[in-house]
Amino acid sequence: MSRLGQLQSIVKDADELHISAEMVNYSGVIEYYPEELVITVKSGTVISEIQRVLSENGQSLPFYISNKNDTIGKEYANGGQGLSDFVLGVQIIDGNGDLLNFGGQVMKNVAGYDVSRLLVGSKGKLAIITQISFKVLPDSYIGEFNQPIKSSDQSTIRLQIEKKLKEVFDPRGVFI
Amino acid sequence: MSIIQHLTRVLPKGIVITGNESTRPYECDGLSMYKKKPLAVVLPENIGQVRIALRLCRKLKTPVVTRGAGTGLSGGAQPIDQCVVLGLSKLNRIKSIDADNKLAVVEPGVRNIAISEAVSKYGLYYAPDPSSQIACSIGGNVAENAGGVHCLKYGLTVHNIESIKLLTINGDELLLSRKDDGLGLLALMNGSEGLLGVIIEITVKLKTKPDLARVIMAGFDSVRGCANSVADIIKAGIIPAGLEMMDKIAIEAAEGFAQVGYPLDAEALLLCELDGSKSDVEAEIDATMKILSGASTIKVSNNENERMALWKGRKSAFPAVGRLSPDYYCMDGTIPRRNLADMLEKINDLSNKYKLRVANVFHAGDGNLHPLIMYDANLDGEIQRAEEFGNEILKLSVEMGGSVTGEHGVGIEKLDAMCHQFNLKELEVFHKIKEVFDPDSLLNPGKAVPELHRCAELGAMHVHKGVLPHPELERF
Repeated sequence: MSRLGQLQSIVKDADELHISAEMVNYSGVIEYYPEELVITVKSGTVISEIQRVLSENGQSLPFYISNKNDTIGKEYANGGQGLSDFVLGVQIIDGNGDLLNFGGQVMKNVAGYDVSRLLVGSKGKLAIITQISFKVLPDSYIGEFNQPIKSSDQSTIRLQIEKKLKEVFDPRGVFI
Repeated sequence: MSIIQHLTRVLPKGIVITGNESTRPYECDGLSMYKKKPLAVVLPENIGQVRIALRLCRKLKTPVVTRGAGTGLSGGAQPIDQCVVLGLSKLNRIKSIDADNKLAVVEPGVRNIAISEAVSKYGLYYAPDPSSQIACSIGGNVAENAGGVHCLKYGLTVHNIESIKLLTINGDELLLSRKDDGLGLLALMNGSEGLLGVIIEITVKLKTKPDLARVIMAGFDSVRGCANSVADIIKAGIIPAGLEMMDKIAIEAAEGFAQVGYPLDAEALLLCELDGSKSDVEAEIDATMKILSGASTIKVSNNENERMALWKGRKSAFPAVGRLSPDYYCMDGTIPRRNLADMLEKINDLSNKYKLRVANVFHAGDGNLHPLIMYDANLDGEIQRAEEFGNEILKLSVEMGGSVTGEHGVGIEKLDAMCHQFNLKELEVFHKIKEVFDPDSLLNPGKAVPELHRCAELGAMHVHKGVLPHPELERF
């Protein structure tokens, strides 16, 4: 059984599951076309490895990286708008164990709600992110990145919406 | 009391428009082949009136279709049965400009180009430039996540928005910003096609105008040669501000219309704009000229007049094609760039199969195609043939790893095509996201996401190993 199939079974059988890089255990570059400016990676791939592959073609991830020794999945789960701007698509396993794809590997895509950017910052509470596609840039187009400032303001209405969105992706409340 | 009575009782005179003649301008958007009359049109002059209209519609369970400038190309602002159209065109104030931080706070009805005009004196501009930018509104741009010619380098609408304020169907205010901690709700609203909330204020990010922009025009003997040069430019580490391609029919139409000196003997034309500091632009021009050495014709703009002239043909390509044929149907699929040449050949085959001419004008740098299928609505069956042709193109886009819509949105137009791109479980997620924001399904219902049975009927869903997903669903 493929790792994705195993992960789907794990989710289906679980009552409670804490998502971590060790648990997901799924890494590697899936597809990289330098002339497309697009790379697709498994979520467990360590960021420095992605940077190494890109640097061979003079390209880079065009956003602030908190820790290059972390996996790209963790960076995505804790990410903000800087990272989100360069997300093109994701593959996820939701709380029912279903494998779903949103977005894609093209620069422009407005079909359906932008779930691949909605889940940036989902902190491993809505779904297992298994695969992410990013837009990358030639090094000469990349400047300095500042650590993003996040506001701690959380309105009541926002919290209600986030709670309901969790129920959309994880109706059984598996991901803790 | 009816919704019209309620609205006219509470809102000042002139805000609520009813009656056959007065509501006629609102019966369609830019996709004018479909028309429907709304119950009433509400044109609020302030946020308080938007809130009142929303609360009344919610109370009486009347569907609301929010409308910007009505320039959308997918029917997103087309009225639905027994609905109220909420037109935000009167909310057109630029509230503040912060030149130091390159931000402007605007109301949703402000026209896209009006922002750039207002901030021009500070040496700034708003980057996304859909071709309807003289008319389209910034609220509509956010709702559609509008694109334009300069997306490859400067991003789509979503990349150029700092924050938005919106009203939920309950009339509650929600502020979403790039600085938010938590889920990407701001990104979710971009391209949500009026199904999740009503945008009442937008803070846009502004960019510094580049010192210099120059455009290279290159004619090619073959479509494949032109398409390959697109990949070669990107591979060389150059990101042009604009990278547009046109095929022979489009070149002839545009040249006939605008007389800008496009090469009529070329099979394909590339327009490549480079911008930035003077030295960067010169270096990139040199590098790009070398890559384009296989072109049959090549010309570089030497001043702003020449640059604008070279773009004029491209920008008038749609109306120019309109002169070749009584009607045309504009598609909006995107594909990975490496498949451009194959896609164009397949479109050509389909053109022969359906016996309809097609002109290709597109954002080559983004892999965003705009095939214009020419037909005559007065001839029996031509609309249907054009639609089938278009549907095949969108199916091909998905098969090549792309999307059925790059920037025009799904609206009502691409509901069937959505069934090619998403399986039923993915579509179900979309429906549930709508339910979170709009449990009674009153905001632009029926648009953007097809009902599951619609895809089942089409038989277009993904059949995995011969097992149909959701066997419990009726298929009729």
